[in-house]
Amino acid sequence: MKYMLMLFEQDTDWDAVPEAERTAALDEHAAFIAYLRGRGIEFSGEALRPSTTATTLRPAGPDQDLLVTDGPYVELKENLAGFYIVEAADLDDAVEIARHCPTGTGTEIRPLWGTGT
Amino acid sequence: MTDAVGTIAGAVADAHRRGWARVLATVVRVTRDLDAAEDAVQEAFAAAVELWPRQGVPDDTTGWLTTVARNRALDAMRRQRTLARKLPLLIVPGDDAPAGRETIEDERLRLVFTCCHPALSLPARVALTLRLVCGVPTPDVARLFLVPQPTMAARLTRAKKKIQAAGIPYRVPADHELPDRLPAALAVVSLLLTEGHTASRGAALGRPELVGTATELAEVLAELMPDEAEVLGLLATVRLAAARRPGRLDGDGGLVLLSSQDRSRWDRGLVEAGCELAARAMRRTVPGRAGPYALHAAIAAVHSEAQSYEETDWAQVVALYDLLVAAAPSPVTELARVAARSHVTGPAAALDEVAALATRLGGYYGVPAVRADLLRRLGRNVEAAASYEEAAALTGNDVERSYLLAQAAELAR
Repeated sequence: MKYMLMLFEQDTDWDAVPEAERTAALDEHAAFIAYLRGRGIEFSGEALRPSTTATTLRPAGPDQDLLVTDGPYVELKENLAGFYIVEAADLDDAVEIARHCPTGTGTEIRPLWGTGT
Repeated sequence: MTDAVGTIAGAVADAHRRGWARVLATVVRVTRDLDAAEDAVQEAFAAAVELWPRQGVPDDTTGWLTTVARNRALDAMRRQRTLARKLPLLIVPGDDAPAGRETIEDERLRLVFTCCHPALSLPARVALTLRLVCGVPTPDVARLFLVPQPTMAARLTRAKKKIQAAGIPYRVPADHELPDRLPAALAVVSLLLTEGHTASRGAALGRPELVGTATELAEVLAELMPDEAEVLGLLATVRLAAARRPGRLDGDGGLVLLSSQDRSRWDRGLVEAGCELAARAMRRTVPGRAGPYALHAAIAAVHSEAQSYEETDWAQVVALYDLLVAAAPSPVTELARVAARSHVTGPAAALDEVAALATRLGGYYGVPAVRADLLRRLGRNVEAAASYEEAAALTGNDVERSYLLAQAAELAR
């Protein structure tokens, strides 16, 4: 099964973070990726720029164009900062994988809508 | 004829009680779908009601039911093969999956651990366990939790859907996973026992049917995991609660607290069995690292072994509460520790500690109830009466409320 690990953390502008801190954070992810490769787990993932750069489209009303608005869909103190999609045997395996992933303020684990086996 | 019907009905009820979980647990592995398995097992029991009067009750009722249920399930799967599945199938790891586990492979345990997965909310776990492990029909599960049947049906459907959609595996956790996984299962039994012992609402002090279910589950867990300290501790607590239950009500149905119970009314056999289990639980823990259920049992054992309330080994009780607060921090446990400690260091010091806890336990009737007892022991009767009244207003249990109001009335005289 495929799962998305959604990494939540306080909005961070990584461009403004001191280099040593940024390197340390990247190293944690490098270690996680090494773990995934070591276990032969199929994966993909990306880091997101902060929610201050987000743009949201909302329905403006019947027969109207979608409205372009500034900001994320929901204003939160912690935002989605990045994600991995991993192939796991089951939820227990996905949880085990997520335990190895750098954790900000929380990691949401969601099964992808698969066709099942 | 009536006798024969009664015998068959008894045989079916007996098979249901002893076999339901085993049959369902086996059929789930065939269907890999909880709803489909449940339907098939229900059909098998319906077939038993129909066929056993004519064919006789089979020697191995669980085996008979399993075969029929499995065949029904296979038929249904053949019929539905063409239909698109909305849900992924249950993940059933191979038999070698729970590596490092040699002792048990009872099918029921898979069912328990799947229903009690920590990724499910506690109410969902409780409902699923009652429905799938204990075979309690959905309307009865709803009644046990005082919610409308559609609400309970929706809760059960949602939980089953999550198991399959989120890929909660149908397996027994490996030994190294048990410390993480066991508490979620034990919490289900514990919740049933607590609510059964003293109902949070209603006219009766307890709910015997919930106690019965908790007892069955604790027995099954102890049978399947006889070496787990926490499981033994939970079963010990079940036994000791049962032992002392006859002393909790007086002749008029009024509540009698531990301090005034007639200990000759306790079931001595159950006290001994419970204390023995509690001791075994503690022996199986790493010193200083006992879990909450073993510690709860140890506390109950100290109380049960005392000849009278006055002779209780309070220092021992307090020491155990210290360990319990460290192992499973909770303000309710802290309150119990304060109450126990008041028998060592006196009620005046305890009064300050209760005040410190009050803000963290707002709305919990135990706070004014403990305060009332301390005030009474200090001879501050007017304040004690007011605290009893405050506690009475906060409890939803009629028997408990009557007791608290009676105390208030007595002190106000």
